[in-house]
Amino acid sequence: MSILAEINKAIGAHARQVERHVESARKDPVFRRKLLKRWKDVRGSVQTVTTPTGLKLPKLALPPTEEPAEIARYLYGEGLPGEFPFLNSAYPEMYLEPAPNSEIRIPKSEIEEPTRLFAGLGLADDTNKRFHYLTGQQRTVRLSTAFDGPTLYGMDSDAEGVLGKIGEGGVAIDTVEDMERLFAGFPLNDSNCSVSMTINGPAPTILALYIAAAKRKFGAGVVPKLRGTIQADILKEVQAQNENLFPLDASLRFLTDMVEYTTHHMSRWYPISISGYHIAEAGSTPIQQAAYTLSNGFTYVELFRKRGIDINKFGPRLSFFLDGSLDIEYLVLPRVCRKIWAIGMRDVFGADARAQMFKLHIQTSGRSLVAQDFKNNLTRTAVELLMACINATNSCHSNSADEPFTTPSEEYVRLAAHGQAILLEESGLFKHMMNTFGGSPGIKHVEKAVEEAILAEFDQIDRLGGVLSAVEHRYQRSQIQTAAHRYEQQIHSGVRPIIGLNRYADTKGEQAEPKVVRTPLGKQKRQVQRLRDFKRRHAKQSPKALDRLASVVENGGNVFAELIETVETCSLGQITERLQQIVGCYRPTV
Amino acid sequence: MMAAHPPIRILTAVPICDGHDSAINTVNMELIRHGVEVIYLGYHRSVKAMVRAAIQEDVRTLGISSYNGGHVEFFSEVVKLLRKHGAGDIHVFGGGGGTITRADEVVMTRRGVDRIFFAGTSLSEIVAYVKKQYGGQRKVALPSLSKATHLTNRQLAKLLTAAETNIPIPSLKLQPPTGGCRTIGIAGPGGAGKTTLIDELVLRHLTLKPHARVAILSHDPSGSVSGGGALLGDRAPMIYSQDDRVFMRSLASRGHDGGLAACTRRCVQVLQRCGFELILIETVGIGQEAVPFRGGLTDRTVLVMSPDYGSRLQLQKIAMLDVADLVVVNKSDLGGAKTALSEIAQRLESNQRGQQLLTTVAKQHRNAGVDELFNKLVNP
Ligand code: B12
Repeated sequence: MSILAEINKAIGAHARQVERHVESARKDPVFRRKLLKRWKDVRGSVQTVTTPTGLKLPKLALPPTEEPAEIARYLYGEGLPGEFPFLNSAYPEMYLEPAPNSEIRIPKSEIEEPTRLFAGLGLADDTNKRFHYLTGQQRTVRLSTAFDGPTLYGMDSDAEGVLGKIGEGGVAIDTVEDMERLFAGFPLNDSNCSVSMTINGPAPTILALYIAAAKRKFGAGVVPKLRGTIQADILKEVQAQNENLFPLDASLRFLTDMVEYTTHHMSRWYPISISGYHIAEAGSTPIQQAAYTLSNGFTYVELFRKRGIDINKFGPRLSFFLDGSLDIEYLVLPRVCRKIWAIGMRDVFGADARAQMFKLHIQTSGRSLVAQDFKNNLTRTAVELLMACINATNSCHSNSADEPFTTPSEEYVRLAAHGQAILLEESGLFKHMMNTFGGSPGIKHVEKAVEEAILAEFDQIDRLGGVLSAVEHRYQRSQIQTAAHRYEQQIHSGVRPIIGLNRYADTKGEQAEPKVVRTPLGKQKRQVQRLRDFKRRHAKQSPKALDRLASVVENGGNVFAELIETVETCSLGQITERLQQIVGCYRPTV
Repeated sequence: MMAAHPPIRILTAVPICDGHDSAINTVNMELIRHGVEVIYLGYHRSVKAMVRAAIQEDVRTLGISSYNGGHVEFFSEVVKLLRKHGAGDIHVFGGGGGTITRADEVVMTRRGVDRIFFAGTSLSEIVAYVKKQYGGQRKVALPSLSKATHLTNRQLAKLLTAAETNIPIPSLKLQPPTGGCRTIGIAGPGGAGKTTLIDELVLRHLTLKPHARVAILSHDPSGSVSGGGALLGDRAPMIYSQDDRVFMRSLASRGHDGGLAACTRRCVQVLQRCGFELILIETVGIGQEAVPFRGGLTDRTVLVMSPDYGSRLQLQKIAMLDVADLVVVNKSDLGGAKTALSEIAQRLESNQRGQQLLTTVAKQHRNAGVDELFNKLVNP
């Protein structure tokens, strides 16, 4: 029996517990009295807000009931916003706008700025410029970094055969000097600045590069202040994104080393972002996305605990990343995930309240965006954003309308950012009331169906011996591929209407394509030159640094702590190669 | 059943630094469903690896699915390198959703790419194109080899194509390898880890003998309902066998029972005359009754099993256990491995043929069990 069987049991037990509370609310006068007292207190504490039109509304949308059984079902089964089992949201206030002249000043570092736009193109200087442009459109500094292919695969820009791919689809990073250029001009030491990096196979090396760059600029004291996220989710790489560098066991060890280090030395860092996005984009169903993401998450928890890291220390530093597409499941998927996670963490792992929260970043679906009549993608993204916010995502990336063609151009990035601002700042949907949309009969039905389907999928994985064993059987991959094939067939047979493609298609002939963003070869060669120059300057120190790294790997020490030293004189590719010599290369599964 | 024409053989792959494999997986599935034999090389593959594989497999065409940019350069390099090796008859086509623009396609076709499929193309259009464009009878042009002392990949590939289609092979005067040639048959059920084990053996051989060359003949089943298509996927998980000193050919069983193809013997005979020190033959995932290597096809045979074969009774039924020279229990890190080992040992003892039993964890880097297997099998 794997941990998933225990999770399934815990969910069942929780449901029964809720029913017992409902029973007690009906039958036990003492329980009922307490419950009603609490309800009265909650209702009494709800503030009233006034909208620009003068409408008065309660800040918190509670079910309009005095019925004890219903109250019990709500409070124990859903929880108030920000309360166990967090169905409604991880935090109470989410997107509420502070009243213009309110006395309460939220420190800027506490503002959860939801807008986070993924960006990366060309060389470090180009992306740095894009970062400065983007933050000009936001209230706080929230950077999200996309890396180019060679970097994602842990290779150097001067590796054989990669010319042409340098700086495409993300930024090229080879050395600590590139990292310094990438974040030039940003206050990495400021609690108001947070940096996210989407990278997995070489994640420990990349985070080490980031730390080294920050130390060069702000001194060694900056390390505990660093705030941000690195994706580092290696399980979904095996299942969907295909960016593994090392055999899974070795990757998991390097990851655990990193988590151990950040847990002890970087308490503001999120060392892993457990991701369903790539699973869904590879073509999975929404249920598969949720089930694989959650089960991967629980697998990491087991692993980190086995290393002896305190669950109440690392638990609050786990975060999640889901896809938000157009199928109806997405109306509730994150809500259900929050609940399953909270119950699993509390009742199976005994984690405390802060470690029970499923903190979530949603990206709207890239795959739902199509090339035909591509400006329709603005509407698709808007609908997806709406569902993401209904689900109280903690942060969000909205894709640009030119997604099918290219790394987004400035024009469409700006529109994508504005899409979120229009929804959260301009429209009144989210800024006055919490939890405006939860609890309708429709939503409850979808919630129930989705929860059952996710638990059934847990059951499948459990029968294969748990996540790691299912991975060895290629279970997740093969399920995703079958779903992807079906999805494409449904598009081509018309079962899945795609406006402008298989319905209401423009028959007037070829449509104009948007302008594409590419990295000219001359610029790519400049990166190669820079790297060669770095290698030349460190030719004497780097072999020794690599030897030290190798001995830490062989002796079972914490590889991450050593990497922070190694990156001072070695490039990403040099480090990857050395590690592969010791632990081997990843063997791809089809 | 053999179709009138042999099935179309194509190679598909995703370029280096690119892991977008969802489109190619879907295209592969759709082509296989319509009777095409697809050799899938996998994602994150270099120009060199693609060209090497296309030439060795002597496919009709190479389909590339590219998303992470640099496609104009990448596709052009592939065409150029194919031509450099005299393999201009291998076509190149592909797609990459919206990332390959119409303007790019103009440049790419000018440089020799047949066609780019844009975003939103229907799967049936792709299948129809492949059948029409690459489906006709292909004439097998045998290289003239009367004086050759060394064969290029390209020449050898053409000989194997001849062997596949039962065209007489010209006599060869090639230097036999100094250490002689050893042919090893590797059989086992699907999922036992044959391919991984072979790749690990190849690594050890290449390291130990810096000049030796290795050949791999790998089999996968043809579908019976789907008009005979097949996914030949054994190249994708290979790491060390993606090497110029390794010649690999993938064969579909094409309705032939017992784990091999009708042309296997002819192909092995060609390989045995071409200077390889080591020839490894991998069967399809075999059933209990199969005994693939008969009639002196191989020098030694190995049965690879995983510990989860079921009950002792199932063990009795596995015919290869009677004849294999060596039995390997791979994945011996799994639970149940100990029981499996003692049950198989008992079963082998009753044969009284002095068969050897070894345990390996092929997925483990530098696994000692694989070292031992290598020493017993390849380097005795
Ligand atoms: C799905 C997807 C992903 C998934 C991939 C999952 C997987 N295992 O495949 C995930 C989320 C993991 C992913 C990650 C990344 N992605 Co991505 N991804 C996409 C997306 C949304 C769809 C691509 C797709 O598979 N479509 C489905 C297929 C079936 O349809 P299609 O593309 O229209 O293709 C048709 C034809 O072209 C044809 N075809 C395609 N190939 C072939 C080959 C042959 C032989 C034939 C005959 C036909 C054919 O088949 C289809 C039939 O209709 C595109 C954007 C978009 N909407 O297109 C971005 C996109 C391709 N990704 C992009 C990027 C940048 C990345 C990342 C590098 C991001 C990063 N920095 O981390 C990573 C890299 C991942 C990696 N390992 O390489 C960029 C590329 C930009 C560029 N080239 O300038 C795009 C365009 C998004 C964007 N605008 O930024 N991605």
